[in-house]
Formats: sequence, structure tokens, C-alpha cells
Amino acid sequence: MAILEVKDLKKTFGKNPVIKGISFDMEEGEILGILGPNGAGKTTTLQMLLGVLTPTSGSVNVFGKELMPNKTEILEKMNFSSTYTDLPWRITVSENLTWTSWLYNIVDRKQRLEKIKSIFRLEKLWHQSFGSLSAGQRTRVNLARSMINFPKILLLDEPTASLDPEVAAYMREFFADQRTKFNTSIILTSHNMAEVEELCDRVIILKDGLIVGADSPANLAKKMEFSHLRLRITKNASELDKLITLRHLAHIQEKNNYTITIKESLLPLFLYEVTKKNINYTEISIDKPTLEDYFLKVARSKSEAL
Amino acid sequence: MKLYRIWGLTLRYLFLFRHSLDRISDAFFWPTVDIILWGMTSSFFAKNLEGGGNTLILGLLGGIVLWIFPWRSQYEIAVNLLEDLWNRNLVNIFVSPVKFIEWVTALLFLGVGKAVISFTYASLLIYFLYSANILSVGLVLVPWAVLLIMFGWVFGLLVAGIIMRYDTKIQTLAWTSIYVVAPFAAVYYPVNSLPAWAQSIAHFVPASYVFEAMRSAVGGSPPPLSDLIWPTLLCLVYFALAIAMIYRSFNHILKRGLISVD
Repeated sequence: MAILEVKDLKKTFGKNPVIKGISFDMEEGEILGILGPNGAGKTTTLQMLLGVLTPTSGSVNVFGKELMPNKTEILEKMNFSSTYTDLPWRITVSENLTWTSWLYNIVDRKQRLEKIKSIFRLEKLWHQSFGSLSAGQRTRVNLARSMINFPKILLLDEPTASLDPEVAAYMREFFADQRTKFNTSIILTSHNMAEVEELCDRVIILKDGLIVGADSPANLAKKMEFSHLRLRITKNASELDKLITLRHLAHIQEKNNYTITIKESLLPLFLYEVTKKNINYTEISIDKPTLEDYFLKVARSKSEAL
Repeated sequence: MKLYRIWGLTLRYLFLFRHSLDRISDAFFWPTVDIILWGMTSSFFAKNLEGGGNTLILGLLGGIVLWIFPWRSQYEIAVNLLEDLWNRNLVNIFVSPVKFIEWVTALLFLGVGKAVISFTYASLLIYFLYSANILSVGLVLVPWAVLLIMFGWVFGLLVAGIIMRYDTKIQTLAWTSIYVVAPFAAVYYPVNSLPAWAQSIAHFVPASYVFEAMRSAVGGSPPPLSDLIWPTLLCLVYFALAIAMIYRSFNHILKRGLISVD
């Protein structure tokens, strides 16, 4: 059953339509990625899902209820973290998490704070003021704040953008674990394609306020027809040049290193011909298309709604 | 409304006071400056008066001490909103289950707390420095304080609503706006000493009735409590309008999105 349903959501700022009618849903326990170039409307969409931005039209239903009339009840079980928001700078991490914990109906408040402190490795930062922390540490505290109520739905806006690789990997592991253990549903926006491929079951690609792609990261990548074949040639390079010309293939050559762009379906035949023409190589690698390739293709193309 | 959520919001501001010397000191600094300045001035004039010197001193200092109620309650609402805007914290508050009315309630009560602390300090100061006892007016002080606090709330909510709508570029209103009405509130002088046009305005300023009553009480002829009915009604109407105005401003910024509000 869908835990979140968005129908024909639109948002116009003045005369500028930012979200032009998007519809999607999310299952319980699903991790959904929202990708898109800057200005595509990702943060605007997240704000409307949280009720902190009024849509121009359309509907958002969460836990089977309309968001705006049931906002208080719904937000008790939702939370949000963004690299674009802060907490009060002058007060300590401990105080910031304490006051935010009181905004939720938490029975074991003290234990909850201890648990959050340990999960997000905040022991050393606990009594430091929020403003004295580095960008990465602030992001970690913001993420800790978003878990204070152990939400059923968590919205993360570029959650690992300023974290170091080790902490980012730890956080990804933590979010994946939340889904496995507690069936938490997560919506994630990120510019880190590897992160999205690792975490997300499904991805929505937004461009100019429209959904221009929606599928699993693997299926989206498969929509790219071309692979990159890399060869280091040791003999008969001229034969390879002829073959490339004959097949009208795009390629880049740096000395005897060739990177050839070729349709995946033609790869076996092309490699057969390379062997037949006695072209020798010492190294070979095939880069299969990734979500990033698909994203770049979509980002460079003209917007067309699904 | 849930009390635990109001407490959570209140805690956020109390934690801030703990770490902000400027926010603690301003509760004491300005009352001290005003009391010393006006205390010395009124003492000087009182010496040249035949009888009634103490009435002059208590009348002036009583005005300063009572003015703390509207000033602090307005200031706390507006400045606490600014703190949330400076820290881009509004979004953290409203992605939680907090209701608009709970947030407003927390702001209102913080103002009361700070006003009571400043008032107590200022009352003690005028007593020890000038032997002027504002408590000598009796229990009538309670309805006066309530009325003045509510008047401060009205200004605080109006200013907060304007800042929310037009951003922090007009943030100086948070510190200065209530002084626009101070001349018509007749804090230090009777309403009848104002020009006729200003007296007409003063009749619609609820605080002016309290300061008039205070001066009469200090002079030994306290007016009946029924004199406060009209200013109370006025205040209730203004308060309702101010709540409606800040609610409209909040809905206005919801159309822009709370993440982009600063």
C-alpha cells in the first residue's frame, strides 16, 4: 500500500511555474530518490511534502490522509533534514536536540537522546555550540535531529553533501539499516549518483518541474544503449582505425589507448572482428552505462513529461 | 494545543538566554539607565517643589517601571522571531507537529516572563535608589500589568507579522516600533498636556489609560477599576487583529516556502 501519494502537484512562484504537475507514490519501506539538475524543483517538492510550502494545486496524501488538514498528526511520524537549514547557532548540540525532542510525543526522552548521541557519534560535540561546528558536523547534527522521533517517513535533502567519505558511508549504512529493521520509508535528493544507486529502490528524475524519468536505478541505466570499450592496442592499430571508420563509431584515441562508444548489442560482434583482424591488445575494459550517464542524457535533453 | 510542544519552543529560547549575555543584560541595562537618568532628573525638580516632590518622583519612575511591560513583551516576540529567521530555524519548527498557535503562545509567554523579571528588578532599583515604592499602589497593579502586557503583545505580533512578510531588511522595527506609540501612551505626562489632535489618538491607545490611572493613584485618588473597561476592550480588539495579521503573514510565507525565508 502506498504510504505517500502525490497527485498532479503544481507550484508557481509569481508567473514562474516551478513544479508543473507531478504525480508519484511511495511504498512503505521504500527508498525513493529524487534527482534533477539544479533548479529542477527537488527542494520545492520536498517542502510541499512537508507542508512548509503551499502548493498551487494538486494533492499530497500521507498515511492515507490528506496532508494539510492532518498536518500535526502526520508530522509526528515524519521528519526532514537538509544541508540548507540550520539550528540555532548559539546553543549547544545537546540543547538543540533537547528542545527539538520536546516537539514530539516521546516517552523515553532521556534514553532517546542518549541513543541519538551514540548513533550519530556526537559524544565529543555534545556540549559544543552548533555555530562552532564544521559544515560536516552540522550536517551530522541535522541528521540526528531528523531522527529524534524515529520517523516512519524521512525526507533527506542532499544529506551527505558535506560529510567526509567515511561518515557519509556510515550514514548510508545507517539509513539502509533503518529501512531493513524498521521499514522506514525514505525520500532522498542527492547529486551523488553512486549514493543514489546504492540506496534507492526507485528514482524519479525531475527536470524543469516535470518528471522525465522514473524507474529503478538499474533499469534507468539500461535505457542507455551505449557502452564504452577501452583497449590498449599493441599491434595492428591501423586495422582498428579502419574498423572504427567502417562501423561509424565515435572514439577517443590517446596514443595507443582507444575509448570506443558502441551499442551494447554490437559489442560481441565488434570484439569478434577485432580478433579476426589480428588486432592485439594488452588491456580491455567495458564501462557499462550508469545512472549518471542516464541522468546526464536527460539533463542535456529537452524536457518531456513521462 | 499540546503543552509539551509549547515547552519545547520555550526551552529553545531559554537555552538561548543562557548563552547570550546581550539578551540577558538588555533586560537590566536599559531599565537601569532610564531609572538613573529620570530618577536624578525628577529628584532635581522635586527639590524645588513645595510638597508633592515624592509624588513627582514616583509618578515619573512609576511610568518607567510600568513601561517595561509593553516594551519587554513586544521586544521578546519580535526579537525571538528574528533569532529564528537569522538561524533559518523556522523550517525546523514547522516540519515538526508544532501548530502555528503553539508557536505564537510560546512567544507571548516568553515576553511575559522577561517583562516580569525586568519589572521586579526595576521596582527594587527605584525603591533602593529613590525610596519610591510602586507596589504602594496596591493590587490594582495586576490589571494594569495585564493590560500593558497585552498591549505589548499587540505590537510584538504586528511587528513580527511585518518582518515575516517583508524579511529581515526591516528588522530594526523589532527594537524601535513601540516607541512610535510612546508619546501617545502618556508615560511621563498627563494626556491633557498633549495637543488636541494627539489627545484624540491617545484615547485609542490602551496604555494611556493605565498611566493616567497610575498617576492618579500615586497622587492619592485612584480611579475606579471600571475605567479600565474601555482600554481592555480596545486591547482585545487590537489583539484579535494582530493575531489575524500574523496568521496572514505566516500563510504568506508558506506560499514562498519556509526553507527560503530569512
